Order: sequence, then C-alpha cells, then structure tokens
Amino acid sequence: MRAAIWSELLKARRSRVPWVTVLAFTVAALVGGLFMFVLQDQRRARSLGLLGAKANLAGAEADWQTYFSFLAQTTAVGGMLVFGLVLTWTFGREFGQRTITDLLAIPTGRVAIVSAKFVVGGIWCLLLAAQIALLGLVIGLVLGLPGWSAAAAVAGLAKLFATAAMTFLLVTPVAFAASAGRGYLPGVGVIMSAIFLAQVVAALGYGHYFPWSVPALYSGLAGTERTPPGLVGFVLVAVVGLAGAAVTGVWWRNADHDR
Amino acid sequence: MTVSVTIDATGLVKRYGDVVAVDGVSLRIHQGEVYALLGLNGAGKTTTIRMLLGMIRPTGGTVSVLGNRIRPGAHAAWSRVGYLVETPAAYPELTVAENLRIAARLRGLRGGVREVITRLGLEPFADRRAGTLSLGNAQRLGLAKALVHRPDLLILDEPVNGLDPAGVAEIRDLLHDLSHEHGVTVLLSSHILTEVARLATRIGVIHQGHLVRELTREDLAAQARPRLCVTTRDITAGAQALRAAGFAPAENRDGALELVEQNAVHRPDEVATVLVEAGCAPVRLAVEQDDLETYFLRLVGDPR
Repeated sequence: MRAAIWSELLKARRSRVPWVTVLAFTVAALVGGLFMFVLQDQRRARSLGLLGAKANLAGAEADWQTYFSFLAQTTAVGGMLVFGLVLTWTFGREFGQRTITDLLAIPTGRVAIVSAKFVVGGIWCLLLAAQIALLGLVIGLVLGLPGWSAAAAVAGLAKLFATAAMTFLLVTPVAFAASAGRGYLPGVGVIMSAIFLAQVVAALGYGHYFPWSVPALYSGLAGTERTPPGLVGFVLVAVVGLAGAAVTGVWWRNADHDR
Repeated sequence: MTVSVTIDATGLVKRYGDVVAVDGVSLRIHQGEVYALLGLNGAGKTTTIRMLLGMIRPTGGTVSVLGNRIRPGAHAAWSRVGYLVETPAAYPELTVAENLRIAARLRGLRGGVREVITRLGLEPFADRRAGTLSLGNAQRLGLAKALVHRPDLLILDEPVNGLDPAGVAEIRDLLHDLSHEHGVTVLLSSHILTEVARLATRIGVIHQGHLVRELTREDLAAQARPRLCVTTRDITAGAQALRAAGFAPAENRDGALELVEQNAVHRPDEVATVLVEAGCAPVRLAVEQDDLETYFLRLVGDPR
C-alpha cells in the first residue's frame, strides 16, 4: 500500500485542489477572527463600518473559549463541504479523467488503492484541521483574546480535532458516490444532501440520532444550552465512516468496470 | 518443447440484462503469439478484453492468465501483464515521467522509467505535463505505461489509434520485436485490418459477441482466393479462347475475366499466350487476392 500512498500524495501535490481547501479554511479562520474583533468592541466595529449602525451581537463574548468553539463549528459545517470535496476529487477524478482503467489490473490491489486514497484524504483533512487550529491561535494572540489557559486551549483544540475526525468519517460515503456514480457530481450531490438533511433533522430535534448532525451539535452550533450528542450519536458516526469506506472498497473490488 | 498457454478463456459470456455482449467466446493464446481480435464496433472485443483483465466479471465462463485464475481480488498475474484499454488516459497535471513513475511504483518497481521513455521516443516530452500531449503522444504514453515493467503479456485495445503513419510503423516494429526477440505474448484488438494482417500470427474474428472464426496467418493466405484477372477488348472472344484452352473463366462485376485454376494463377504468361494466339491480346493481366477486409466482410455477412 506504500506505493499507492506515494502515488496519491504525488497526485495531490501536483493539483490545485489542496490550495483551494487551504484557502477555504484560511477564510474560515479569518472570519472567526473578524467576529472576535467585532465582539471585542462593537462601537469600534460600528465606527469602522464592520457592523451596521443598528446591529447588535448579543450573547457571545470575545474570548478564547468562544473562538475555539467557533472554529470547531466552522470545521463541522465547512468541513462537510471541504472534506467532502477532498474525497469527491480523490475518487471522482479517476473516473472523470478515465485513469481508473490503469488502476484495475495491477499488482497493487484495488482495496489497497482505495485504502491509500482514504489515508491521504484523512491526512489532508487532518492538516486542514491543524491549519485552522494554528491560524486560530495566531489570530487569537494578535487580537489579545482574554480567557487563555492551557486547559481551555487543550479542551478547545481537542473539540476541534474531534469534530474534524467525525466530519471526515461522515464524508466516506461521498467516496462511494463518486466511485459508483463515476465522477464528481454524484459526490457533490451527496455532500449537499447531507448538509441539508443535517440542518432539517437537527431543527426537528432528532439531530442526536442523525449522524450528519452530530459534529455540529457536538461543536456547540445549536448553543451551549442544548445537550451534546450521546454515545448513540458517536457510534452512528463511526458506523457511517466504516460503512462508507467498506462499501467503497467492495465496490472497487467487485463492480463491473466497463467504462 | 511445450509452449505454455498464456491466456486460457473458456466459454466467456457477458450479459447486460437482455443484451448479450459476449456469447461463449473461448480463446487459447500461447506464449510468443501475436493474436488479434478483429471485429466491428460493438462486436464484443473490448468487453472480452476487460473480462480477460478482470475488469468485468463474466456472466459465464472462466479466464486464466499466465496460469492464474482471474477472479475479484486476485492480482497475482498482473505483475507480468501490461495493458492499454480503449483511449489512453493520464493524470493531466503530472508530467509524462511522473505518470510513468506512478505506473512503475504501483507495479512494485523503482526504475525503468527512463528506459521506457527512450524506447517509446518520449524524451522530448518527459518533463511536459501529460494534459498538453497530442493524441499520438498520449497513445505512446499509454503504451509506455503498459511496457514499463517489461511484461510477459501485453493486452492492447486499438494500440495504434491516433498515431501518424510513422508512429504506426514504429509501434508495429516494437510489438514485432517484443514478440519475436523477447517472447512477449501480444493480444491486440484493432479495426485497422492491414495492421492486423501484418502483425498478427493468429486472428480471431468476433462478431455480435461470437468468435466466428480463428485463423492463422497461413489460413488467411489460403482464404485469400488468389485469381488471375484478365481484361481484353472483346471479353466474349477472350472467354471463348480461354475455354478452348481448358480454363473456366468467369466474368466478374468489373467486366474482367477471372481464372481461379492453379496453372493460371501461377503461369499467367501461358494465359497471355493463349489470348494473343486467339487474336484478343490482354490489355490487363493481374493476379489478385482478397485482402483481410474483403475476407472479414464476407465472413460477417456484410454486403459491402
């Protein structure tokens, strides 16, 4: 599988797609920083034109805990889109560019190639999470956010990485959609459907049992007064992640590759 | 000396619902052979090739390649097999050399890239992104990927597609060299009949999913129906003179007389003498034979 990982890394390195995802997560961290800047002094923000004259941001404090929570929420919602696009591109490109044929009758087995794609996709998404965490720390220091403590930082970053891990698990079915649908669009369709359903189901109050709602609820998107998801929610996330990866591998191994 | 069977396919069937794409195709291809699958578009060539490569699971029948039974998840044979199926594809943002490096690494190799670049004449393009290659050079890259690990068996679907005449000749020489000098078995499909006739040691004609005929190069020569075609100014008088000399001329669609007797085909000068002595000297005298295209169309019942 090492050769497959090496080739996936080379393909990713030569593409512009990683830079697009880096840009997306950079913008997310900067937007979070802007919110903190506005929250620090709303009168100053109004005078700079960053906040409408009659607007008032209530119920949030400009501190490290709020900022970490914002970054985790961004990772939950933005991650569904960006991580999903990572896997859509990683798998869908082989069909879109018709390079799949070159991967089907070689000594490196198809399951090893699928596994390598998930490994590289996972590393890629982990690096994006690390990027938003690092940028968050720098922006928070520049803004001089109050409430810093090592414990708060560890808790905040742990929540961010846990949210990222769950979000990655939830996009594995996108790989199956991009493979079985033989291109990018089916993967994008699954991402959009998952994001839409996650909102609707969470609004209906069943988000704790709908895996795609779990990371957002866990990151505190619904507010701190809402109870976080329980064990069932986390188990369902893991089941979706493993099932998505397994089904993709089985499909690559057994499907008729007639195009 | 026993010659080993490189591809052994028995009773291959592929159905898609009610559509039978391949129906009972059996192939036994021996080491060092150049076997050509010949057929019209949609005849079942590519489906057969994909079944041989384990890309499509047959509805019925079995495939063994280099002694390994082909089934899902079995990839023991593939380290010795190179292939190019349909249009060549490459990662467009990677260079030619990088595309080949990936092909090599996935086959467990660390070297061999420079060598195959030289062999396929890709040196000027080695550092060029694959997405900028012409169709002909993309085809060369596809062939280079198939050859990078020095396979014992090459399976090539339309290998000279998109190549200019010089490229076609080059690839023909390469395949000839691989087969004759290195004992590589080659299975190719092509619709370029002249190429098949020049290259293949055995030809399988596939039509509507059936392998309708297998013939060797020698069989093909025998199927060529050699005949002496004679044109005279007075066809009737010429026919009478030839009949009187013991021949059985038949007038063809072009208004020429055809003689299929061995002595006519091998000694056209004697036929000319007969006609000159009868006072209707030939204005054209030529030994003709069916080419592969004529034979193929005759075999599949195409009236063209």
